[in-house]
Amino acid sequence: MSVLRLRDAGYRYPSADSPSVAGVSLDVEAGELVLLTGPTGCGKSTLLRLVAGLLQRHGQGEVLGSVSVLGTAPGSWAPHERVQRLGFVSQEPDDQLVAGTVGDEVAFGLESAGWARERMAPRIAEMLEGVGLEVALDRDTRALSGGQTQRLVVAAAGAAGGPVLLLDEPLAQLDPRGAERLLAGLRTLADGGVAVVMVEHRLEPCLPCCDRLVVMESGAVVADLPPSELRPGSAGLATLRRLGLSVPGLLDLEDRLAGRDHDALQPLARTEAHRRFGPEIIGVDDVEWAWPKAAEPALRGVSLAVSAGERVALVGANGAGKSTLLAALAGHLDRRLGRRPEALVAVPQDPDLALFQDRVSTELAYGPEEAGLSADDVQTRVTAAAHALSVTELMDRAPQALSRGQRLRVAVAAALACAPEVLLLDEPTSGQDHDQVAHMMEALREQLAEGALIFATHDLALALREATRVVVVERGRVSADGPPDDVLRALPPDSPLFLPPLARLCVSRGWPLLSAAALAGGQ
Amino acid sequence: MDPRTRLGLLSCVGMLAICLDAPISLALLAGCCVLPLVWLRVSAVWWRRGLVAVLTVVWSTVISQGLFYAEQPRVSLLQLGPLHLYREGVMHGLAQSLRFIALSLAGIGLTVSTPPDRLYAALLALRVPFGLALMASTALRFLPELGEQMQVVRRARRHRGRPAWQRAPWRWLALEVTLLRPVVARAWRRAQRLAESLDARGFDPVAPRAVRRPLHMRARDWAVLWAAGVLASGVVTARLLYLLYTSETWYWPALRPLYGFTRNWL
Repeated sequence: MSVLRLRDAGYRYPSADSPSVAGVSLDVEAGELVLLTGPTGCGKSTLLRLVAGLLQRHGQGEVLGSVSVLGTAPGSWAPHERVQRLGFVSQEPDDQLVAGTVGDEVAFGLESAGWARERMAPRIAEMLEGVGLEVALDRDTRALSGGQTQRLVVAAAGAAGGPVLLLDEPLAQLDPRGAERLLAGLRTLADGGVAVVMVEHRLEPCLPCCDRLVVMESGAVVADLPPSELRPGSAGLATLRRLGLSVPGLLDLEDRLAGRDHDALQPLARTEAHRRFGPEIIGVDDVEWAWPKAAEPALRGVSLAVSAGERVALVGANGAGKSTLLAALAGHLDRRLGRRPEALVAVPQDPDLALFQDRVSTELAYGPEEAGLSADDVQTRVTAAAHALSVTELMDRAPQALSRGQRLRVAVAAALACAPEVLLLDEPTSGQDHDQVAHMMEALREQLAEGALIFATHDLALALREATRVVVVERGRVSADGPPDDVLRALPPDSPLFLPPLARLCVSRGWPLLSAAALAGGQ
Repeated sequence: MDPRTRLGLLSCVGMLAICLDAPISLALLAGCCVLPLVWLRVSAVWWRRGLVAVLTVVWSTVISQGLFYAEQPRVSLLQLGPLHLYREGVMHGLAQSLRFIALSLAGIGLTVSTPPDRLYAALLALRVPFGLALMASTALRFLPELGEQMQVVRRARRHRGRPAWQRAPWRWLALEVTLLRPVVARAWRRAQRLAESLDARGFDPVAPRAVRRPLHMRARDWAVLWAAGVLASGVVTARLLYLLYTSETWYWPALRPLYGFTRNWL
């Protein structure tokens, strides 16, 4: 019998005219790891909440069809039953912390389920090891990095041993090595009989671990297939491309080559990385910084100078100091540190905190109006920024009420409307699908052709594709700095960052590190 | 120190702050309440901010009470045109502000030195309902973050606009109000996610729960509580006896030294 069974399931939010999810029929067996993907706003998170029973208990909308987990309706479970049957992890791990220390966080579910105290300690250790989190049990949860917090909430959700685990973008804040460890942990859980359903945009690291790929579009399931069926020329791959989802690099290359052997490829050399840039536009020298109560300094003697025309990707493991370096460049740590132009805009990692107007249009107009531009010029800037970031249709909506990906795009559009010389972005891919990221980066390339873009990211494929320079931050120090090709090729084998498979192929063949499209296009 | 001991000490400070009336003893109490912060090695920036806040509270309370003191008798210390600064008002304002400062410092000391989860465990052990204890500890954990978020919003605004003070005061005020919008939206979103997380992890405000880390009161905790309890009870008793004497309800000549001590020092 299926652990999880949906028949024509759907949900209509109270304020919506039509259902956000409709007609979904799905069975998940014990021990299956299901990857649920789809464009932003297609209803993935809604479906996950429906399966968790959260919408049935707390939503005021209409539940359609039937949802059954372990043979019963999840909305009808008593609290102590919920925690023993199902684990749920939503986006934004920081918001899900309920306890003050790591040990207590994992123990919360166990306490709810009434576990004996002597059974808790080994279970907590087991769960933390499973997700690859090696921190003291009495560590303050507020002192963890984003990636550590992400792993902690996964451990906490699965601690009570529920046979179903639901996760909404669990890799969003993890570095490649952390993502790999978490996925291995989830695979172990699935192999132990747990049914795992995971919503994720990053398909490449997930596909090798999962048993099924379910693709959603506009609230419905449009593909349900094992990853092995994602072959060059297959219908599944065509669906991913049609929806603008990320296609794993090697598969992308093989599909583009359409049967030709990639041994015969003679890719074009990457030229942009070696182009000349303008004068220095922003920089910091020998910055030392320690956050209060932190065990180690966040920055140790970091120097960085960025020239006009550069697009710099700051990459590094979780907690390496990327965001602190961005803060130093922005002057947030100490305005006296470093050099920066007046026209600098920094978009925080949490885009919510950059949106303070009541409508998207006024949000975008705020910067130009403050600069004293005429009404016509303000309107020109607003229109251009809205178009560049695809938020034109959102102009009359409240920015705070948008989805996370939309909020990020509005925050970046509001920054671009200020015509900055330097734009600083912290994790610009969070909550966005492949096409949206590509579109956003294209707009940034155009708008900041004479300025500088500095962004922190875990996504090495993005760094390779979009940056003219990669800076590797490691334990508060810059450990490598240079053209993406040179820097990423030289990453040591034990680095928490590792290259995606396509890039590894390029390295092994001695090719420049290019995207599948560029490699195939070289033929 | 067990968090229940800390809560007990906070209660004793509350009793003392209510019963003491002499500025010198209230200043001593406030001084004692600073000690946990010294031990916690609070940064110099916070000491500076704290000092500014204390001086502001003392100054504003003393001046307002000194100027508007209406009881008789009163002695004018200073005349400022039609206004008088009365000595009794100044002393009353000083006592009121020191009372407030002592209580605030004790509360800050407790919240800064006690992780919210331990406070939560202590409240549960003191038989405060589970839901209320969780709500209190969660609020304590999130409140400081609201301040940090406001700072992020201000920075984001500053990058896109003129400094806030470069505009008319009412526009500045209106801008300040708009800056609350993202923080409120963020808090609402966070509350929703936290509620979901609690729900999924079997939160039940009334059901009994297992406890991973039970609290343990050591001999040192009992000793500290006993000493603080005796001191607070002694002050309360002395104040009550003095009240009975001044209200001409009950007088015992053997207690005259105590009455004198209470009047002059408590």
